Amino acid sequence: MIQDLSDIGMEVPVSGIEKELRNLWAQDEARTNASLMNLVIYSEKKGSLAENSAFIRCLTQDHACRAILVEIDRSIEEKSLRAWITTHCHLANGKKSICCEQVAFHLTGRVTGRFRNTVFSHLDSDLPLVFWWQGELSDIFTERLASVIDRLIVDSSSWEQPAATFDRLTEAMEASSKLILQDLAWTRTWQFRVGVAGLFDDPVAQAALPKMESIRIVHHPKHRNCALQLLAWLSIQAGWNPTAKPEKGATKFSFAAKGGEIAIVLEADPNSAALGELVMSAGETTVSLKCNKESGMVLRKIESPMYHASSVSPADPEPATELIALQLSRGGKNSLFKKILPRFRELLS
Amino acid sequence: MNPFREDLVSRSRPEPCSIVIFGATGDLTHRKLVPALYNLAVDGELPTGVRIIGFARRDKSDEEFRSGLEELNKKVSRSGHDDEVWSHLAENIFYHKSEFNDADGYKSLAERLDQIDEERGGKGNRLFYIASAPEFFDDILIQLKNAGLNEAKDGCWARVIVEKPFGTDLATAKHLNEVVNSTFHESATYRIDHYLGKETAQNLMVLRFANAIFEPLWNSRYISHMQITCAENLGMEGGRGGYYEKSGALRDMVQNHLLQLLSLVAMEPPTDLSADGVRDEKVKVIRSLRQWDTPEKVAENVVRAQYTAGHVDGKEVLGYRQEDRVSPESDTEAYVAVRLLIDTWRWSGVPFYIRMGKQLPKKSTEISVHFKDAPNVLFGALTGGVPGGNVLVIRIQPDEGISLRMVSKIPGTSLRLEPVKMDFHYSTSFGKGSPEAYERLLLDAIAGDATLFARRDEVEEAWRFIDHIEHAWHQSDNPPPMAEYVAGSWGPKEADDLIKKDGHDWRRL
Repeated sequence: MIQDLSDIGMEVPVSGIEKELRNLWAQDEARTNASLMNLVIYSEKKGSLAENSAFIRCLTQDHACRAILVEIDRSIEEKSLRAWITTHCHLANGKKSICCEQVAFHLTGRVTGRFRNTVFSHLDSDLPLVFWWQGELSDIFTERLASVIDRLIVDSSSWEQPAATFDRLTEAMEASSKLILQDLAWTRTWQFRVGVAGLFDDPVAQAALPKMESIRIVHHPKHRNCALQLLAWLSIQAGWNPTAKPEKGATKFSFAAKGGEIAIVLEADPNSAALGELVMSAGETTVSLKCNKESGMVLRKIESPMYHASSVSPADPEPATELIALQLSRGGKNSLFKKILPRFRELLS
Repeated sequence: MNPFREDLVSRSRPEPCSIVIFGATGDLTHRKLVPALYNLAVDGELPTGVRIIGFARRDKSDEEFRSGLEELNKKVSRSGHDDEVWSHLAENIFYHKSEFNDADGYKSLAERLDQIDEERGGKGNRLFYIASAPEFFDDILIQLKNAGLNEAKDGCWARVIVEKPFGTDLATAKHLNEVVNSTFHESATYRIDHYLGKETAQNLMVLRFANAIFEPLWNSRYISHMQITCAENLGMEGGRGGYYEKSGALRDMVQNHLLQLLSLVAMEPPTDLSADGVRDEKVKVIRSLRQWDTPEKVAENVVRAQYTAGHVDGKEVLGYRQEDRVSPESDTEAYVAVRLLIDTWRWSGVPFYIRMGKQLPKKSTEISVHFKDAPNVLFGALTGGVPGGNVLVIRIQPDEGISLRMVSKIPGTSLRLEPVKMDFHYSTSFGKGSPEAYERLLLDAIAGDATLFARRDEVEEAWRFIDHIEHAWHQSDNPPPMAEYVAGSWGPKEADDLIKKDGHDWRRL
C-alpha cells in the first residue's frame, strides 16, 4: 500500500497523463515550465513516493527537471498501475513562479516490461535521462534499461554485496558506452579529493609525496566503500600498486611505491562522518584532512617541523538527496571514477 | 606535477601564493576582493597557503584590518558569513602600512614576503593587485621594481593585476603600459575588466562556437545589425560626480566593457582557447573598427548627451549639471550612442550600435543580434504583414540569460503572425548561483589564465578609437553638440535619429 498520497499530487489515468499536465499548465499563465533533464527515481521501498516527492520539491529549487517517481511493490502479485501528477513551483527573483512537473507511478505485479515502457513514454524529449536507483540493484535493472540511461546514480554504501553488484554494473557500462555511472560513495569522497589535490599543490607536500610511508583513513562503518574508493584513487593517481591481493573485508593494505612500501590502515568509527579523516605521513611531514561533523567543514593541514599551513573547506553532505543535488551541479563524464573502478573492485574483493 | 589534480576541475590550476593588495583600505578591497577570496574559500577553491597582505597608507594593525574586512564581508558576501571559514582566512590576512612612494615600505614588504615564502619551504608565488587610485599606479609599479618584487624566484611566478582605468587616453594608456611592462612581462600582466568575468560574457563564446546553428548565420549575409546596450538607472549618487566629470560615459564604459563585449560577439573563431588564441581574435575586431577621425564623422556617428531633471523609478531626480560634484557648465556626457562599422569580410555593411547612459528607466546590459527579415514572398500581403525579424538577445545583467524572438502564427482560423519569445534564464535553469565576476577572475589570475583579461594591444587599440571621438568633442573648433534627454527616458531623440538613419530602431528593453 502507498503510505501517504497527500504530497504526490492528483491521481490521473495513465493514458491521460500528458493531457492532464497540459491542463495543469493552462490554469495559470504566470508560471514558467523549466526543465533541464528527466530525473527518474526508482525505489522498491514502500512509501518511497511521498519521500521522493519531498526530495524533488527541494531539488527543483536548483535543478529544473521533469521528475518521474516510480515505486514498485513486488510483494503483490496482482498487476496494477496508478499515476499522479503535480508541479513543484518556486519563486524566482521574487516574482516569477518557476515550476517543474512530476509524474509518480505505483506498480504492482510482474513489472519489468510495463515499468520500462511506462517510464520511457513519459520522458521529455531531447533531455538527458538521469536515473537514480535507490537500494539494491534488482533483476528489473537490465542492459536494455541501462542502454537508454545517460547517468545512473546508485549508492553502493547501501548494498549487501557490492562486489557482485559492481560486476553487473561494469557489464552494463561495457554494453552502453554513453552510460555514466555515479556512485554516491564516490561523491562522498569529493571534498577529500579536492582537499588532497589542493594540499599537494603546496611545495612542502609535493616534496613529501615520494617519501610517503603510511596512510590512515577513518570512516563510518557503513561507508567502507568511500574509504576504499578514496584509497583506490590515491593509489592510482600516485602510481602505487598493491603488494598482495587484499582479503575480503581487509582493514590493512600495503602498496609498493618508488620510495618504498606504504602501509595503509582503514579504521571504522561509528562516530565518524562517512569519511572522517585522512592522514598521510612521510617522514616529518604530515598531510591531513579531518571532517568535523558538527561544523560541516573539513580541516586541511600540512605540518612539518618548519612549516604549518591550514585551511577549511565545506564537507560533503551526508544525505543522499543533497549529494545528488551537488552531483547534478558538477555534471561531467565521471571518467576518473571509471579509471579507478578496476582498482576499487580489486580492493573490494 | 600534482597527480591528484586530474579531472577535478576543468580549469587551470590555482597555486598557493601571497596576494598583495595595494589600496587595501579602499572600497574595492572591502566590497569585492576580500569577499571574493572568502567565497572561493567557502567553495573550497582557494588553495591552502594563500596569504593576503593589504598594503595601504593608513595606520592599522593586522587585527584592525581583519575586523574591518570581516564587518563588510558579513554584509556583502554572496554566500553569507561563516565564522570558521573566516577565522581560517583571517589567520592569513596581514596589513602592511606604507606610502605608495616610500621605498622603505617596499623593502619591508619584500622582507615580509620572503619570511612567508621561507615558512612555506623556500618558494613563493606572488600576485600584486593594484586597486589603488590610478594616480598611484606609476609609483607602485616603479617601487615594486626597485625592491625587486617584480622578479619571480626560481620555479615561482610574480604577477600583477591592474584595475581600470587603463589610462585616460591613448597616450596615458601607452605610458601606463610601458611602466607596467618595464616592471612585469606582458604575460604576467592581468588587466581586469570585471564584465569579462560575468557568466553570460563567458557564455558568448560557448553560444557562438559550441552550437552549430548560430555560427553559420553569424555574418553580414544574415545579420542586419547588432546593438549593445548598457542602461543604468542611477545618476551621480554617493559623490560619483567627481569621478564621472573626469571620465564620462565613453571613457568609463565604452572604451573597456562595451568594446570588450563587442570584440567577443564579433570575433572570428579562435584557433584554440588559450589566452592569446582568444585575445588575438578579439584585438582584430577592435583594430578593424572604422575610425571616426574627424569632427564631421563623429557628429554623424556618435551622439553624446546629458540628462535633465526627471523621474526614475517614481522618484524625482536632478539633471546631470545639478548633481553633486558636477560643474553647472559641465561638458561631460552621461549618455553616449555610437554607430560602429567593422571593416572585415564577415561584418562588411553591418552596423553595430553601442549605447550607454545614466538615469535611464532601468538597469540592464545586453547584446541584441538582429537578423535580416525572411523573404517577403509568402506572408507580406497579410494584414499586419510579418512583425519584425528574429532577434537573439544575450542578457549580461541583471537576469543573465538568452532569448530568441521568432514569428509565429496566432491560433485561429485566419492567418495572423505575431512575435513570440523563447527565453533561457540562468537563474531558473541552473539553481546554482553564478560566482561573482571577481571570484572567477582572481582564481584565473592565481592559476595563470589570462583569457578573461585585456591585453596591452586590445587596450591601446580601443583607446585609439575612443581618442578620435574625445578629440572631436573637446579639442576641435567645431565640436558636435551635447544633446539632452529627460532622466527616466530612453535617451535623446538624436540617438533615435542616429539608428533610424540606417532604418533601424533601438530595441525596447
